[in-house]
Amino acid sequence: MSPHESDFDCPQLLDAAAYVLGALEHDELARYREHMQGCAECRAEVAELQLVVDELPAGVPRLQAPEALRERILASARSEAAVLHAAGHHADRPVRARRRLRSPGAVLLGGGAAVVAAVAVVLAIALSGSSPVRERISRGVVTANAPGASATLHIRDGHADLIVAHMPEPGRGRIYEVWLLKRGSAEPAPTSALFGVTVAGSGAVDVPASLGQVKEVLVTSEPLGGSAHPTRKPVIAVAVS
Amino acid sequence: MPRLLRPRVSSKETLRKLADEELMALVAGSDADAFEVVLERHADAAFSLAYRICGRRALAEEIAQESFLAVWRSGARYDRARGSVRTWTLGIVHNRAIDTLRRSGTQEHQRVSDEGIDERLEAPERTELQAVDSAVADDVRAALTALPDEQRRVIELAYFGGFTHVEIASMLDAPVGTVKGRMRLGLRKLRGELRGWEAVGT
Repeated sequence: MSPHESDFDCPQLLDAAAYVLGALEHDELARYREHMQGCAECRAEVAELQLVVDELPAGVPRLQAPEALRERILASARSEAAVLHAAGHHADRPVRARRRLRSPGAVLLGGGAAVVAAVAVVLAIALSGSSPVRERISRGVVTANAPGASATLHIRDGHADLIVAHMPEPGRGRIYEVWLLKRGSAEPAPTSALFGVTVAGSGAVDVPASLGQVKEVLVTSEPLGGSAHPTRKPVIAVAVS
Repeated sequence: MPRLLRPRVSSKETLRKLADEELMALVAGSDADAFEVVLERHADAAFSLAYRICGRRALAEEIAQESFLAVWRSGARYDRARGSVRTWTLGIVHNRAIDTLRRSGTQEHQRVSDEGIDERLEAPERTELQAVDSAVADDVRAALTALPDEQRRVIELAYFGGFTHVEIASMLDAPVGTVKGRMRLGLRKLRGELRGWEAVGT
């Protein structure tokens, strides 16, 4: 076999370039991702070509970011940092938790918990019949790598719904599971709340418990049927205020 | 994921001496000063990429802002084993910019990619923006320019235009498989050049 032919050992190898350029059609993309899991050749080709794609931004005409833009970004970050530090040293907690949980078999809470932030708590008044019902909306932090992904927790009469948008699918054979992290507890408790998302990434689920002692609502991707302990890092974290 | 314990550094001067990866460990702990240094280092590249993709200054600013706040809020997800902080950050910018472009509707999407980048950069906005060029940029551009037109075009339409290979095939009146083939040939050729860039380092 000539070297050229061996280039195309896997018939799907041709898709690697379109894949790293983000140019596969939606259904092709899903199929190719699945294919790659079992094809070392395609994985290697993708890794190789990804290096090229990573360099493409360097060739873009280089402009200077406006000073006002930098200032806005930094101001947002500083105000969030101030909220975090004021809200009980959230920023320090994940590091301690991570070290404590590092024992064999322990579940690493990791990334998601590190960025827990009540970014915005909105008080809304909704009219239900004649009596006003207060609905509290907490915006969560989404660490899933998906543009525009969001998660909000709507608490009304002690009942909470989690509503997500633009979330990626939880993965093949997987489902999102809701966890409750209680005050003074290092590991989140599982709930019966499991949910998937639509093609557009929308989803909603009842949080089936009182949030009295709960400080954070977390979501992880788990095998269908859910898990008793989180097996992955949280993709959503909502601080309950 | 390898973790750094958080060193207690506060002075801006000390922070500026740290590598991006070390700064990200601090950002994961909500250190806004560390984030400021990351922002200083990569804001121009992020803004430039967003502008190249969406072609509008206000939109590019919005995309850069959202992207850096995503870096700030999800700094703990950064995994140095999967690439540099710059690559990770620009990946976020790219995703958001392409997503914005696709959501902006077919007509706008088409308009942006029909205009060449040179035409777009002649827009009045251009004068407000100061161009800062580098040797690496020249190398990447030279490598792209050296590609056969048909290969460069499909790569640019996909990466900067956000079009799928099927859309590109119909725009160029080419068979579907041909576009994938051109993408592959073009990227492979660039890969050959890239080995040289790696030696130089960025």
